[in-house]
Amino acid sequence: MIGIPKSLFYYYDGKIWTNFFDYLKIDYVISPDTNKEIIEMGKSISNDEMCMSIKSYLGHVAYLSKRCKYLLIPRIENFGDNNQTCTNFLAMYDLVNNLFGNEIINYNINLNDNETLKKGLMYIGYKFGKKKSLIKKALNYALKRYNKERKKDILNNILKLKKSKKKVLIISHPYNTYDTFVGQPIIKLLKDLDIEIIYSDLFNKNSTNKLSKKLSKDLYWKYSKDIIGSIELVKKNIDGILFLSTFPCGLDSLVNELIIRKINIPYLNIIVDDLDSLSGVETRVESFVDILNQ
Amino acid sequence: MNDAYLGIDIGSISTKGVIIDKDNKIITSLYIWTEGNPVKAVTKLVNKLKEQLPSNYIIKGIGTTGSARKLIGLLLDANVVKNEITSHAVGTLSLYPNVKTILEIGGQDSKIILINNGIITDYAMNTLCAAGTGSFLSSQAKRLGVDINDFSEYALKSCNPVKIAARCTVFAESDLIHKAQSGYQKEDIIAGLCKSIVLNYLNNVGKGKKIMGPIVFQGGVSKNKGVVKYFKEVLKKDIIVDQNSHLLGALGIAILSKKYQINKTYNLDINSISFETKPMECMGCSNNCEILRIYKNGKMIDAWGNRCNKVIKL
Repeated sequence: MIGIPKSLFYYYDGKIWTNFFDYLKIDYVISPDTNKEIIEMGKSISNDEMCMSIKSYLGHVAYLSKRCKYLLIPRIENFGDNNQTCTNFLAMYDLVNNLFGNEIINYNINLNDNETLKKGLMYIGYKFGKKKSLIKKALNYALKRYNKERKKDILNNILKLKKSKKKVLIISHPYNTYDTFVGQPIIKLLKDLDIEIIYSDLFNKNSTNKLSKKLSKDLYWKYSKDIIGSIELVKKNIDGILFLSTFPCGLDSLVNELIIRKINIPYLNIIVDDLDSLSGVETRVESFVDILNQ
Repeated sequence: MNDAYLGIDIGSISTKGVIIDKDNKIITSLYIWTEGNPVKAVTKLVNKLKEQLPSNYIIKGIGTTGSARKLIGLLLDANVVKNEITSHAVGTLSLYPNVKTILEIGGQDSKIILINNGIITDYAMNTLCAAGTGSFLSSQAKRLGVDINDFSEYALKSCNPVKIAARCTVFAESDLIHKAQSGYQKEDIIAGLCKSIVLNYLNNVGKGKKIMGPIVFQGGVSKNKGVVKYFKEVLKKDIIVDQNSHLLGALGIAILSKKYQINKTYNLDINSISFETKPMECMGCSNNCEILRIYKNGKMIDAWGNRCNKVIKL
């Protein structure tokens, strides 16, 4: 049984993994939505300087480590020149390896050394004794299905831009946006106030990545470039931008400053930590929506 | 009978109430300490305001704002419950229609609101840290053995404010003790504190914002003349402090309650209401949310605190 933490990497490539495992009939289990128990577990084993998302990730791993023999923990280094990721994405494999006794299924992504997702998944297939031809079919199936679903999501996101409701673009890493503890409560607050949500990660990444150069030529974090490029794409169609990050994300703190200086649209920055009460967030979101509705 | 509207701003430190007439003129107002019990504070406030209100007025609307707005809104059956940013802006705009920047420092929150042609264009609030707010000042006053009301006097006396790091209350406190122990005068330390509040505010809340005049400074801390002085000095601009600068949030919400009145009259008979809150830990899932149930006259009327969408049985 392979344990897949429903955090960080899962929100990027998780669907590809599960499609792939489904086709090859490899057993896997996904950890539940982030809850308080998971956060507490994560906090108790992490260093206090880590960001809340990493703490939460380790909580998911802790939950799975008792229940699974294998854990799927990729090691993501870069997507080519000037497309780096946060060092935690690179370090996660070793971190988990040091903290837990499970056997880790991993793949590396380092496009500079020609290590790709496809290659990584091929190795995983071999590891579980599958034939090359079958693995190739599984890969094809996994990517095709993923791309089809993503296309649909992107289309929906673009269609929402035409609606007459007030629209807010959420600038955030998908592992924050879709997390039940971080992004979802805030998105619910916005929806309750009759706001249409535009997701920054649901656009064609190649084009948003290139567009991000209009905001900054020096930024070299792939995931940040992917999301902030969406501002250039939709800035004429939205009413406000909400920048959502977890405390203390180094990348986001810089990107936040960058956006503040470059845009001319109502803007709200919310940094989430493991505080229980939402009332502080409520005040900020409500005032923000008041500004949009004036 | 003349129509009147009640606005209550329940902050972490103080509770403010104003009653206005139909021309937004303040008929009566009151400022009391919240002392950690918003329900008790509001009961006291409403009773006093009722006494002060001339008998030819009748309350046609109630609005609540501030951090306890939701709870008190339920208690008083308010017709408007709104956040502090909007309330402060509305209150200030009613007195200073040309205002471009509102600086507000309260007990636990500080905010900056930027306004263009009477429309809020941007705002920022402090993060959840309370450094550089009123509660920081009052705790330091206690440490120095000075009444917070005498702070202005001390601060204005000083010619050489000491440098105090105000980024974090803990650091500021150790800085302050250090300065006191090494022999600095009390007035210089207090002036240093006031200056540090200003610098901390401009570096955190005011970060990256274009502060243009006319500037109105409000909230409880605006009563501190030392802080006003250093705002003027640092910004090199004139700062307007209204005589009711501590009441502008309450004024704003009173105006909003007038705007959104629902043809209802309130008798302000708060003593006859029994109001109770009961906390409970939900065991429905592993989130263990802390739920607060609100009882009015023995009947549960609302509950909040849950992260999920499950409806709590009323």
